[in-house]
Amino acid sequence: MTQYPDEPDGAEKGEQPDPYASPSPDRYGSLPPAGSPTPPPYGSPNQFGSAPPPSRQPPYLQQPPYGQPTTPYGQPAPYGQAPAFGNAYGQPMGPPPQSYLVWAILSTLFCCLPLGIASIVFAAQVNSKWSSGDFAGAQESSEKAKKFAIWSALAGVIVVALYIGLIVVVGLGSGLNA
Amino acid sequence: MTLPHLADTTGGSGAGRASVLARPVLVACSALAALAWVGSVDPSEPGHYPTCPFLAVTGWFCPGCGSLRALHALAHGDLRGALARNPLMVLTVPVLLGWWAAWLLRCVRRVPKRWVAPGWSIWALLVLVLAFAVARNLPGAAFLAP
Repeated sequence: MTQYPDEPDGAEKGEQPDPYASPSPDRYGSLPPAGSPTPPPYGSPNQFGSAPPPSRQPPYLQQPPYGQPTTPYGQPAPYGQAPAFGNAYGQPMGPPPQSYLVWAILSTLFCCLPLGIASIVFAAQVNSKWSSGDFAGAQESSEKAKKFAIWSALAGVIVVALYIGLIVVVGLGSGLNA
Repeated sequence: MTLPHLADTTGGSGAGRASVLARPVLVACSALAALAWVGSVDPSEPGHYPTCPFLAVTGWFCPGCGSLRALHALAHGDLRGALARNPLMVLTVPVLLGWWAAWLLRCVRRVPKRWVAPGWSIWALLVLVLAFAVARNLPGAAFLAP
């Protein structure tokens, strides 16, 4: 699933490759998700022509940071040093991190969840930090935006489930009274 | 580590192209299905959809209030009615369509995403959404209310 070209700011969560997974050959050998209608083209997998590898990690994070082999995200060690790596490369070379802006807009305007406001804030942080060269910070904000996208979706599901449950309960109650 | 993505630089086979297009097509089908559902099940009828929990708790309109009725109106081709329900949501529809088209184009051309929206534009969107949320609860801006 890492082979797909990018989508509009995270239009499909759940099938996203974990941008923080350590780059291992398993990324290419793993099976497609269960709901995927057609398997990703692992056999003929070049999506990007001569583009750099489709990893969502900025390349500097693929360097062993100061002797630590591929420190996983969540451990704070490479964060402070990461912009130095990015600057050493000059331009941001990997694909920009997801801002999940589509999810933020969907949850704010097409649903009714004020969680979406926070999603917009984090989406804005992702792109602001990316533009200003703070690639590690952009990744961090991207992860928060992803969490809020998931929470918004979960909240929507919970509200609908509660509503259906309420209808069932009310229906049963009125049925008993009648 | 071998780099399988560099193995084939001549463009994909038919199967590869089909699977690359699978996700945009899936998203489009989901959106159309949702639109068909909202268009056929009228949100104006009570009991069809849950009330917005934010409105139920606070009594205030949120930026998303009226979106279901606006989508229902859009599904029936009633742009004026949709704008009366939630103008901001209606304005984002062409943006979302454009996003989707750009995504599809990237998938067809097999190029990764290189351009990101500038941060200030998303901050501007945040201000717009918050102003919209406040304004539609004010008595003078009843045309923004759902």
